[in-house]
Amino acid sequence: MIRVDAAEWRSTIAGFHGSGCTLFGFLTGVDRGDSVEIIGRVAHPESIEAHLISTTIPAGGTLPSLNDLYLGASWHERETGEMFGITFAGLTDARPLLRRAQQGSPPLLKSSVLVARVVREWPGAAEASDDGRRGGNPSRRRQRPAGVPEGFMQDEADGRSAIGGT
Amino acid sequence: MIPDEAHGVIGLQPSACTSCMICVRECPTWCIELESHTEEVSEPGARRPKTINVLDAFRIDFGLCMYCGICVDLCPFDALAWSPGFDHAASSAGGLVHGINELVNWWPATNPSPAD
Repeated sequence: MIRVDAAEWRSTIAGFHGSGCTLFGFLTGVDRGDSVEIIGRVAHPESIEAHLISTTIPAGGTLPSLNDLYLGASWHERETGEMFGITFAGLTDARPLLRRAQQGSPPLLKSSVLVARVVREWPGAAEASDDGRRGGNPSRRRQRPAGVPEGFMQDEADGRSAIGGT
Repeated sequence: MIPDEAHGVIGLQPSACTSCMICVRECPTWCIELESHTEEVSEPGARRPKTINVLDAFRIDFGLCMYCGICVDLCPFDALAWSPGFDHAASSAGGLVHGINELVNWWPATNPSPAD
C-alpha cells in the first residue's frame, strides 16, 4: 500500500496510468473517525503489476476525481462519495448512485445508526425470565444492541427503552 | 463433492442449548430468535429448587443470515454447528426461517451429540 498526501493523490495515480497501469480495480473508503481513508487500486492489463494507493482526507472533504483518467472510476467515486459524505472534484456525473437522494447521514460512516436497528425489536432483548412476555420484563434494565449509541432511543429519556418493544 | 466440514447451513442440537442468548445477542444480522421460559427443578438433597431455562422456540432466518458462523464459534455448549447441507432454497422469504424441527435435521450426523 502506497500512502500519499491528498495533494499527491491524483498525480501519483496519473503516474501509474502513464506507465501502463490503465486498468482500474476499485476505489473505496474507510471511516477513520475524524477522517476518511480513500483506497484505490490500479493494475497493468498485461502483467501482474498492480498498485494499492491510499490517502486520508478530513470527514466531508474533497479529493480530485480520476474519471478523466479511468472512465470506470466514476462509478466507484459516486458510490464512495454518497456512502462516506465526501466530494470528488471534477466528477462529471455526481448523481447519487445507490441512494435516492443525498439526505441524512452518509450510511457507511460509523456515526450513522441503521434505522432497521431502531425500528425492529432486538431479538437479544428477550430473557428466559420474561416467561413469554413479548418485549420482555419492563422492570429489568434492557441490554442495548451493538451499534446503537446510548441515548439514541427516544424512549430512553423517560427510563424506558424502545429496543425492547412496547 | 461437498466436504463434511463445509459451511453450508447451521444445525441445532436443542438438548445442548441452555437458552443463554449469546448467539442471539452476538448475531450481526439479528437473524436468530429464541424463546424460552424458566422452570424450577427440585433435586434430592438440594436445599432450594434450582431454576433452569427451557427452550421453547429457536429460529434462524437464513434470508438474513450472512453465514459468518459467529453463533457457532461463540456457543459455549456446542449446540450450534456447521453442516454441509446446502439445499435450503425456498420459494418465499418466510420459507427461509428455520425452526427447531428444521434446524435439528441440519445437525451434522458426523458430529457426536454433546448431550448424549
